[in-house]
Order: sequence, then structure tokens, then C-alpha cells
Amino acid sequence: MHAGTSTHDSHDVADHIHPPAEGFVRKYVFSLDHKVIGFQYFFTGLLIMLIAGSFAELVRLQLTDPKGAIMSHQAYNVMFTMHGTAMVWLVLIPLVTGALGNFVMPLQIGARDVAFPWLNMISFWIVPIAALILFSSLLFGGPHAGWTEYPPISLADGTAGALWCLSIFTVGISSTMTGLNFMVTIIKMRAPGMTWTRMPLFVWATFATALMNMVATVALSAAVGALFLEHVFNVPFFDPARGGSAVLYEHMFWFYSHPAVYIFILPAFGVMSEVLSTFSRKPIFGYKMIAFSSMAIAILGFTVWAHHMFPSGLAPWLQIPFMILTYAIGVPTGIKIFSWMATLWGGRIHFTTAMLYALGFLITFSFGGVTGIFLASVPVDLHEHGTYFVVAHFHYVVAGGAVMGFLAAIPYWYPKATGRMLSERLGQLGFWLFFIGLNGTFLPMHWLGLEGMPRRYASYVDFAKAHPDGVFWNQFETVFSFMMAASIGLLAFNVIWSLRHGKLAGINPWGARTLEWTINSPPPYYNFKKIPQVFGRPYDYDQPLPYRNTDNAIEPFPEYGKVVMPTPAPVGAGA
Amino acid sequence: MAAAALHDLSGHDAVAARYHDVDAVYGETRDIRLLGFVFFLLADCVLFSSFIFAYIYLRVSAPAWPPFLNGHQLPWFDTSFAAMNSVVLFGSGVTMHFALENWKHLNKRKFYGWLIATIALGIGFLLGQAHEYSSVGISWAGTTMGASFFTLTGLHGFHVFIGVIYLTVLGIQVNRGVYTGSKYFGLTAGTLYWHFVDVIWVALFFLFYLW
Repeated sequence: MHAGTSTHDSHDVADHIHPPAEGFVRKYVFSLDHKVIGFQYFFTGLLIMLIAGSFAELVRLQLTDPKGAIMSHQAYNVMFTMHGTAMVWLVLIPLVTGALGNFVMPLQIGARDVAFPWLNMISFWIVPIAALILFSSLLFGGPHAGWTEYPPISLADGTAGALWCLSIFTVGISSTMTGLNFMVTIIKMRAPGMTWTRMPLFVWATFATALMNMVATVALSAAVGALFLEHVFNVPFFDPARGGSAVLYEHMFWFYSHPAVYIFILPAFGVMSEVLSTFSRKPIFGYKMIAFSSMAIAILGFTVWAHHMFPSGLAPWLQIPFMILTYAIGVPTGIKIFSWMATLWGGRIHFTTAMLYALGFLITFSFGGVTGIFLASVPVDLHEHGTYFVVAHFHYVVAGGAVMGFLAAIPYWYPKATGRMLSERLGQLGFWLFFIGLNGTFLPMHWLGLEGMPRRYASYVDFAKAHPDGVFWNQFETVFSFMMAASIGLLAFNVIWSLRHGKLAGINPWGARTLEWTINSPPPYYNFKKIPQVFGRPYDYDQPLPYRNTDNAIEPFPEYGKVVMPTPAPVGAGA
Repeated sequence: MAAAALHDLSGHDAVAARYHDVDAVYGETRDIRLLGFVFFLLADCVLFSSFIFAYIYLRVSAPAWPPFLNGHQLPWFDTSFAAMNSVVLFGSGVTMHFALENWKHLNKRKFYGWLIATIALGIGFLLGQAHEYSSVGISWAGTTMGASFFTLTGLHGFHVFIGVIYLTVLGIQVNRGVYTGSKYFGLTAGTLYWHFVDVIWVALFFLFYLW
């Protein structure tokens, strides 16, 4: 290492020269740049979303006829299993934490990259490998026990079940490493002056998510690892016939998978805080409460897993605390919802595509949250657990929450990522298709569930006899589900079309105030020419910008090579 | 490898002056890597905790422990042998501590001695465990006892095995002159890892042999 020359000129501080990446492979394939890695996550996630979404459409088509319209019962089981597995682990987690977290978070904290760029690259490349492993299980008949793969029924899956375990284990490693990386980045690499209570709320959300990713995902790895051993080496952990315990698997699985739903939803919460404030032109209401409620959700999220297991014969003295804790987690979530509504109140609201999605989120997510409170109650849950009511609740939270949040984030940060605006006309059409399609698909599921339509059944002849209207509502849902699919297709088209034909975005098309809007679109590989100094929160629209050293976008950067980048060194070795 | 500054903090003279100081820059990167490493150990700890939870759950819910297989109750572990083997592993923690202390006091010869002693004790522990596996009289795939015992101690043994390789690599790096008296992050990380593996064994020893 060379000692830096000690002058006051900002460009001379560099003591290590890190030139821009060269060559196609270094730039776009094995890139260390968090922005490129964010893009890689985005396109991978979107591609798998199209595949897993088409599985869902096959499921919906099957249910247009009570006897099952298009496929065998076995194939139906494989379809809904693959839909759930791929959507949860290979679409939502890569999209909301991988793509959004990677692209936005380092920019918002004024860093030049994440703490461990190498680890970040490896984390990404694990995801397509895990996807290949998962989809290769179709060659062996596919897993058929649902996305939870409860033993002992999943033990009948054979090789396909073992591949399922391997895939989830692999993607779990990626999540853990991403969580670790983001934790260290946010703790150690914030721009000077950016105290904890000056961080943008998306960064708070990413921090809470990273904490859960880092801690909870390993528990899932243990669960699916043990299941893998049981598949391959016949080691008895979960098979009751050999002294194992199927309920043990449920405990280990849900200890991760309940936090997992917060892993999807917290980044979406972060997006809401940014988008609602920006397009209301008003300071966010209750900054500290929103930030701390993210952490409260992350911590409480570890204490509620057994509410997924009420029908498994859990002891009553265990059911009651889990019920109460689940009610309790509604409180921080409610604090957020009310803070966002108060942010809108009296604001000057701009109905852009991102804002429409954010407003839609407030409606659909609140709806899913309320049915979640219903299901937290033990007697209600015992009644509804095996019905479509749970499917409706889950999809309102995930499609109406996490996906809506993500869809709000795309038009919001696309100009920053590419330098061009997404087409507003296509975007708003896409929003209405998605919003109407979502409600048309999942709202009737509540009614079907309350009437007793069982979930995960390939045919529902008996139910249709008792409730003839059930067939109509199932067909209704199928029609509306294709509106959602059309909306996602439109989005994919819009993203690609606007790369070339979108309007030029400029530095700050929305008049937003977080740090990423002070640099060029798309940002240069080093993000910030000078690391800015922060002396305030980014939401005070009546104040001047709370940054110093934000001239990055104005003058062209004179020389490359004087930019100090995080070391691409291994974590555990080297001086 | 040349470490790099993480922030260009110029514009604020006092801070900038500090960051022109090479040691301050090194301290910053070292902090970041140390935190990352500690988080890695935390995640690893959750992995062990999950399997320990599984073991406790299976044991508490089993009708008899050790469980029966084909009408015969399984044998208990050889606690005295395991205790001796534990002393070997804990001893390696002590020698590793001395190795790092001697490095800090710039005593490279003694450092090598203690490091080699640590590696030798680690290998000794693994040999002892191999002996125990061959003589324990239960099988991995037979019962929940075998499942939890071999999975947990095997996972731990795998960590010891990785640790032996890790320490060997560190020794080679020292030989190549990678580390100096003030910059030895790899040695700190290796020591932390080794102590972590020791601490996990304390839990496993109590849970399997003394409970």
C-alpha cells in the first residue's frame, strides 16, 4: 500500500487504484459492481417469475372444472409445488432483496459498493444454479408435497425431493451471504454524517431484512439439509415410523419461513416509504416509528412461527402465546400503514405509475394483513387452515404486498438504473390490469375458503356439489389471473422497450431527495466521485438538500483511477 | 494485498487528515472484515443451534433414550474416552491462543511452534473421533440417536477438518510474509474460528455425553 499524498484536493486521497472493469465477462457476467449484480438478479428473477407464473396459470386452468380440466392429479401436485417453491425462493427473494437491495441500498448510503463485492458476486451466481437444480427435479417426476415439502409425505418424492432440498439449501447459502454482506455494508459504510436516524427508510428496511436473511436462513438450511440426509442416506430425523418427528420439521421449517414472509415484505415497506413521500411531496410521517417498527417486525418475526402449526396438535399452552405474539406483530405493521396514510394527508399527490402501485399496495396489503389477524386466532385457524382462505390471505400479502411493492420500485428506480424513463402509459395500463386481476383472482378465494373449498386439491367434485357457485367463482378467478399475467408480460415488454425508446431521465426525474438522485443516471461504476457528507434526513421537502459534496453529476469526472473502491479481498484470510 | 480505503472523506479537513493515515485506512477495512467474519460465525452458530434443537426435540419426545432398535436398547457412549478427546481439542484452543499472543509480541519462532501444536492437536482430535465412530456401536441411519449424534458431531468434525486446513494455509501465508506485526487479520480470523469450534464442542459434549 502506498501512503496517500496529503493534500486538500479531493481527488488525491486515493492510495489504491481500482480501474473500471474491462471486457465483457468482467463487466457483465462475473461483475463485482453491485449495480450490475442488481440487474443480474432482476433479469434472473423476472425470467423465473414468468416460468413459475405459468405454473400458476396451469393450476388455475385445472380448477376451471371440478373434475380437473387439463392434467393428472399427480401433475397438478407438482405444478403447485413448483409454483410455490420457485416464487418464494427464486423469484421474490432474488427480486426484492437481491435486485432492489443491491442496486439501491449502496447508492442510498453513499457507498461505492457493498462491503464484500466478491461474496456478492458468488451470492448471485448461486441463484441460477439453484434454479437449474430445482427445475431439473421435473425430470425425475418433480416434488409434489407442496412448497413446504412436509415429511413424511415428501419422503415419497425420491430423487425429485432430494433435488428440491439441494436447491433450497443452495439458495439459502446465497441468502445468508447476502444478508451478512448487507449488514456489514449498512453498519460500516454509511457516508459520514449519515447517522442511524438519518438513513433513508428503504435502508432501514434492507437492514431488518438482512438481519433475518443472515440469521433465519441458516435454520432453513438445517431443516432441508436434514431432510436431504433423510432422502439420500435414510437418516431418521422426521419419519415417525422410525422414531423421527414430522412436527420437528415444521418447527425448523417455519422458524425460517415465517421470517421469510417478512423478508419479502420489508423491502416493499421500504419502497413504500420512499415512493409515497416522494410523490406526496411531503416529509414522511413518523420517520422513527417507521424505522423502529421495521426492526420490531424483524425481531417479533422470529417469535411467531408456530402459528403455521396450530392444526399439528401443538400443546394448548404453546398455542396461546403464539397467538398473542402474532396479534402483536400487527401493531408495528399498523403503525407503518397509518404513518403512510398520514404522509399522504394534505400532500400534493402525483399519480405516476409508481405512486399508483404504492396506493394499490396500501389497499391490498392492508386487506391481507387483516385476514392475517383472523388466521392468527387459534379457533379460526383450525377451521380455515386447510381451505382457500389461507391461499387468499397469503396471496394478498405476497402478490398484493411484496410484488406490488416491487412493481412500484421498478418505475421509480428504472430511470436511475438505465438513464431512461419507463413508458408511463404502458405502466399505468399495467397497474390497472394487475390491480383488477389481483383482486378478481384472490378476493373470491376468501368466499370459497369460508364455504370450505380445500386447498391443494386437484379436483373438488364434492365441494362443487354442495356449493354449485364454487365452479363459477373458480372460473372467474382463472379469467382474472390471466389479467395479472398480461400485466407482468406488459412490464417485461416495457422494461425492454424503454431501454431504447424511453425518454431521457436526467439526474432526478422525480424530484426525490435520497442520495442516489444526486448522481448521474445510470451511475458511474464508482457511484460517487466524492463521498457526500450528510447532515439531515432525506425527507424534508421544505428544506435545502442535506448533503455536501454532491457535485458529482455536474462536472465530468476528470480522471479515472483515483477512485477508492472496497477491497475485493476474501473475508477470512489475508492481512 | 494492498488494502484500500473505503471512503474518500476529503472536504472535511480533520477527517481527511485521519484518512491519509495508512493505519487508519487499514483499521477501517479490518473492522469491516472482522464484523463480516463475526457475522459468519453467528450464522454458523445458528446452523449448530438448529441441529441441537432437533436433537433435544427428538430426545425429549422419544419414549426411551437411548432408543430401542430391533428390541435391543442401544449402548451409551464411551464418556471417558470422549472426555479425553475433548481435552485434546480444548488444549488446541489454548495453544492457538499462545500462537496469536506470540505473533503479537513478534516472536515468530514460538508462533510457529504453537501453531504446529494446534494443528497436531486438531488432527489428534479428528483421529480420536474416527476411533469413536468405529467403536460406538450405533449407526447413522439406524435411529434418531444415531441421526442426531453422527450429524452433529460430524458437522463439528467437518468444521475441525476445515479448521486444520485453514490454520495450515495461515502457516504457509506467514511463511510467505503475508502478515506483519501490525497487520495480521487472517491470523485473528483463524483464531476466532478455532475458538468458535471449541465452544461448539463444549455444548455438544454436555448434550451428548453428560446429559
